[in-house]
Amino acid sequence: MRHMLLREWVTKFSRRGFLRGGAAAVAAVAVSGPNLLAGAAEAAGLSAEETRALLKMTRDLFPHDRLDDSFYAKAIAPLQDEAAKDAATRKLLSGGIAQLNAATMASAGASAGKPYADVSDENVRVAAIKKIEGGAFFTKVYGGTMTPLYNQPELWPKFGYEGPSSAQGGYINRGFSDIDWL
Amino acid sequence: MPAKFDLNDSSVVVVIGSGAGGGTLANELAKKGISVVVLEAGRRMELTEFKNDEIGMFGAFTWFDPRTSSGSWYVAKSSPDLPAWTCKLVGGTTVHWGACALRFQEHEFKTRTRYGAIPGANLLDWPLDLKELGPYYDRAELRMGVTGTHGIPRLPASSHGKVLFAGAKKLGYTQYMTTNMAINPVPRDGRAGCQQTGFCVQGCTFGAKWSTLYVDIPQAEATGKAEVRAESQVLRIEHDASGKVTSVVYADRAGNLQRQKARIVAVAGNSIESPRLLLNSSSSQFPQGLANSSGQVGRNYMRHVTSTVFGIFDKPVHMYRGTAQSGIVMDEARLDTKRGFVGGYNLELLPQGLPSFATNLMPGEWGRDRASVIDSYANIAGVWIIGEDMARETNRVTLHPDRKDKFGMPIPNVHVDDHPNDVAMQQHAFQQADALYKSIGAKRTVHHLPFPSTHNMGTNRMSEKPQDGVVNRFGQAHDVKNLFVSDGSQFASSGGENPTLTIVALALRQSEYIADQMSKGAI
Repeated sequence: MRHMLLREWVTKFSRRGFLRGGAAAVAAVAVSGPNLLAGAAEAAGLSAEETRALLKMTRDLFPHDRLDDSFYAKAIAPLQDEAAKDAATRKLLSGGIAQLNAATMASAGASAGKPYADVSDENVRVAAIKKIEGGAFFTKVYGGTMTPLYNQPELWPKFGYEGPSSAQGGYINRGFSDIDWL
Repeated sequence: MPAKFDLNDSSVVVVIGSGAGGGTLANELAKKGISVVVLEAGRRMELTEFKNDEIGMFGAFTWFDPRTSSGSWYVAKSSPDLPAWTCKLVGGTTVHWGACALRFQEHEFKTRTRYGAIPGANLLDWPLDLKELGPYYDRAELRMGVTGTHGIPRLPASSHGKVLFAGAKKLGYTQYMTTNMAINPVPRDGRAGCQQTGFCVQGCTFGAKWSTLYVDIPQAEATGKAEVRAESQVLRIEHDASGKVTSVVYADRAGNLQRQKARIVAVAGNSIESPRLLLNSSSSQFPQGLANSSGQVGRNYMRHVTSTVFGIFDKPVHMYRGTAQSGIVMDEARLDTKRGFVGGYNLELLPQGLPSFATNLMPGEWGRDRASVIDSYANIAGVWIIGEDMARETNRVTLHPDRKDKFGMPIPNVHVDDHPNDVAMQQHAFQQADALYKSIGAKRTVHHLPFPSTHNMGTNRMSEKPQDGVVNRFGQAHDVKNLFVSDGSQFASSGGENPTLTIVALALRQSEYIADQMSKGAI
C-alpha cells in the first residue's frame, strides 16, 4: 500500500497550479470550496447524503473530539471539488460510500438498516471502514483529506501548535527553552 | 556583478548544480579568477519568499520530477515515486538542510580495512583520510560558521533538546550537546543570529543558517567571474574524439535546448541526478555511460540507516520551538562490533510542526489510537536515528528502460535492499531511543520508519584503483581528466554523520586541485 499521501496531495495541487502562487495558496486550498455544512452540495458533485457520509468517514479516520465538524468539512472540500469536476472521482466516492452504507445496513443490533452516516455506534462504523481499508476508495479519502484537515491554521492551537513564528521574532524571547518539569 | 558568458566560450568551467558541492566549488573557483557557469535545474528563490509553512515549502523546494524505486526497502513501499527528498532550486538541499555540520570519524574513511569483508556489502576505503581532509574541514567550518568549532559558541539548548539530554544522562550517555550547527548563534559574516524560529527546514527566513543560495552564490557572482543560469537542466555531457568533455546540452527556462561549451565540467546534482546524467551521456566511445568503464556509476547508493522515535510525555515539550535539529547524542557513533553491527549511529533532534507530524505519523493507520498520539502533540519529543549504511553494488541508480521526463531524458530508478547490518543497527537504535525517553517518564514511544532520504551518497564513488570506483581522490573521473564529480556521490562510505560538511570540505579541496591543474595546463 502506498503511504506517502502528503506527496501525492502536494503534487496534485502543484500540477493544478495552486503552488505556483506560493505557500499561502496551499492553505487556501484547504479552506476554499463549498461550505457543505450549509447544504450547498453542487448538482454535479456528491449528493448531500453522500457528503454527510464522507464527512463522517473523515472524522472516523481522524477522530478528534476536540474538533467540531467545520474542520472536517474543510478537510473534504478538495475531494468534493474534484468529484464535481471529475466523473471518475465522483464514481469512486459514490461507490465507496454505497459500500459503507451496505455494510452498516447489514449489521446486527441497533444499527441494522441504517446508512453509515446515521449509525451512532462508532464501533459499527469503524467495522464498515475496515471492510474497505486499503482499497482505492479508502486510499483516496485517506490521502485526500489528511493534509487539508491538519494544515488548517485554525486547527493548530487546539493541539498546542503555534504555527508560523518568524513574524513574532521566533521563540528566542518567547519560551524556546522554558521547560520546567525535567 | 554576475558575469555573462557566451555559449561558445570554451574557457569556462561548467558546474552542474548549486548546492553544497556545486555552490561551494563555483564560489571558490570564481574567487581564484576562474570563469564559471553554474547550470541549476531549479528556479531561484529569494529569502523573502520563504514562509513558515511546512506543506507549502515542501511543495516549493522539492525535486518532484518523476523517479521510481524498487527493492525491499521501506521507502519503495511508502513513497515509491519519491524515493529521496532532495531539492530543486538554486542552493539545492542547502536550502532545506537541518544544518548539522559533523566531521566523519577516522574509521569511517577506512571501512574495508576496519570492518573487513562484510558479506553482501561492497565496502571500499576512501583514497584519503581524516588527517588529509582535516585542514579542509577547518576551512569549511569557518566559512559556514559552525558552532562549537574555532571559538564559535554553541547554540543554546531548546526545551526539546533538554528532554533529549535529560534522557541521555539518565541512560548513562556522556556525549550529548547542542550539535555542531552551521547556524549563527550570534550575527556573523553578514548573516543574522538564530532567532529560534523552528522553521529551519522550510528555509531560514533570517538567513542565520548557512546556504549556498545566499552565501556562496552571491559571493561567486560578486567576483564578476560567475554566471548562474537557473531553470537550466543538463541532459547530456558531450566529449570529443580524444575522450575529453567539451560541452553540455541543457534545456533552458523556455524548454529550448542549448549547448554550453566547457573546458572542464563538474557534476554536482546530488547522488541520484549525477549518475543519471553520466549514464545518459553514453556514446559509442563510452557505451556504458560517461566515466563508467568500471561499471560503478550509479552503484553503491547509500542513504543513512534512519528512523524516528517519538516519546509521548505527560507534560509539555513544544518540540516545534527553537532551532530544529540542535541536539545530538553521539555515544553510539563509535565503532563497537559487540553491539552486533559495524559502523555507528547518532541520535539527532527531529521536531516536526503539527502539519508534518500529523500527516507523516503511522502511515496507513487511522482511528482512535493514531488520533490519540496527535492529541498529545504538545507533549511529544522526537529523535532521528542516523547511522552508517552499507555500500552494496546492487543498491543503485539506473535509467528507467521506458519512462522519460519532459525533456526526453530517461527518469532514474533507485533500487535498495537493506543489508542485515542496517537492520541490526536500526533495531539497536530503536531500543536505545525507547529507553532514553522512557527513562525520563515517556508513557509511550512511537516509531517511524525511514522518510525519503535527503542524505544520498556513493553513486560515483572515489577509489584508489580505477576499477573500484568512478573518480580519484580529488573527484576527478578516472576515465576523463577534465570531468569532475563534486557532490556526495563521491563518498566511498556514508559514515554516521550528516554529509554536508564533508561535501563542502571536498569541494574546497577539489577547487585547489582544479586551479592547480589548470595553471599547469594539465586540464
